[in-house]
Amino acid sequence: MSNSALVGLSRQVALGRELDVVANNIANMNTTGFKADGSIFEEYLSPTARTPADSKISFVRDRGTWHDMTQGPTQHTGNPLDVAIDGKGFLVVQTPRGERYTRNGSLQIGPTGNLMTADGFPIVGDSGPITLQPTDRQISIAEDGTVSVREGTSTADTQRGKLRVVSFDDAQRMRLTKDGSGTFAAPAGVTPQPETNVRVIQGAVEKSNVRGVVEITRMIEITRSYTQLSAMLQQQSDMRTNAIGKLADVPA
Amino acid sequence: MRALYTAATGMMAQELNVQVISNNIANMRTTGYKRQRAEFQDLLYEHVKRIGTQTSDQGNILPVGVDLGSGVKTVGTPRLMSQGTLSPTGSPLDLAIRGDGFFKIQLPDGTYSYTRDGSFQMDAQGRIVTVQGSVVQPGITIPQNSTGLTINSQGQVSVVPQGQTTPTVLGQLTLTRFINNAGLLSVGDNMFTETPASGTPQDGLPNTDGAGDIQQGNLESANVEAVSEISDLIAAQRAYEMNGKVITAADQMLQSTANMMR
Repeated sequence: MSNSALVGLSRQVALGRELDVVANNIANMNTTGFKADGSIFEEYLSPTARTPADSKISFVRDRGTWHDMTQGPTQHTGNPLDVAIDGKGFLVVQTPRGERYTRNGSLQIGPTGNLMTADGFPIVGDSGPITLQPTDRQISIAEDGTVSVREGTSTADTQRGKLRVVSFDDAQRMRLTKDGSGTFAAPAGVTPQPETNVRVIQGAVEKSNVRGVVEITRMIEITRSYTQLSAMLQQQSDMRTNAIGKLADVPA
Repeated sequence: MRALYTAATGMMAQELNVQVISNNIANMRTTGYKRQRAEFQDLLYEHVKRIGTQTSDQGNILPVGVDLGSGVKTVGTPRLMSQGTLSPTGSPLDLAIRGDGFFKIQLPDGTYSYTRDGSFQMDAQGRIVTVQGSVVQPGITIPQNSTGLTINSQGQVSVVPQGQTTPTVLGQLTLTRFINNAGLLSVGDNMFTETPASGTPQDGLPNTDGAGDIQQGNLESANVEAVSEISDLIAAQRAYEMNGKVITAADQMLQSTANMMR
């Protein structure tokens, strides 16, 4: 195959991956606390492939995906156990694989009274898990994450703990990987800092930050370039077929 | 092409979302109904190029990786156990709970279930029962021909027996609390049953230990807000359409690949 066909193919493979990323974003349009992904491409200069004029040929290669960490819209739900984080912080979740970080603040109460995520992993507080008593009522979560309740018939607030809100600096945040179930994992050796410059909003959740318009536009762009490449490859093929036909045409 | 399957998970999730929303709207006028919400999470990621792997023997590491997600999953449809508004009915056996707690009902098979729907009736023996005829605990029997049935905020049931002028207290209704109301299992008929996730039932009296009080002559309306359900429905429908568009796009790309071969 000629180099042009291979260059076209490298772009098509990359476009296929990019559509996978867009599809995942659109599938998670209504996922609480979801952060959209983007794709980065790079030029790849082949060390061996050369044009007849001896200039280098560059291919396309997908270099990475990045997470768009911008704040998603806040939706009011009225549920006292829903929290949205306004700012750069993450909630800390204790999973069997280690600590994970999430922006999904739709908390639940477990059978033993622990605050946990919807899939049953405890939320970490400043001093261990946050446990509520069976007689607790009127759960209120302050802007700094302090969880307080009214116990039994008491009219005074009793503190049950404080949500641990952490953040990463910009360089560390770029290296977070998505771990499924709305959580992020930190690379080895990176420990987050306690974050005080955030506001915990009770009774609201952070929606997905996927913007439908942007994703659909990207998708159109992907399909159009893919089709154009197919057409280009088709023309190449036709050109070669014609060349073979014409050059090999021995006049009788 | 993975995008086809990723978009399919998105469509399935939105379909379930619409199902949950339609059940909420269908139960807008159901006494004691608590709205549900579909909770989604992203599925596993394939790390095509894992972040932080070494790219050379000089110790250079990849600053960004290629992570391809595989769609969305539903983790649960938790109920929002917030208070519904009380609407007065004037019927003496219509009871609403203001605050936390459930009425405890004994089913015909002897097991217990719990409800916030306090539209009670009296059966042939004078017992306070639900509309299905199951006895409201602790089983209070109202004597025949008595008048002035009063249930106070503490749940004390009192009547004026025939031929007397002073009311007598017949008993006190209990309210049951759970540490995790959202963990109760819905069994239909506005009833819930205990599960390992809800915690063990804590029987108590109204207005004590965090339980709510009882309002006679009122019913608790559903806590469904029409406006938010409809806007959720619109969002779900649009998300469904966009996922459909992704499938069309993936199909178009596959088609143009297929057409390259003549």
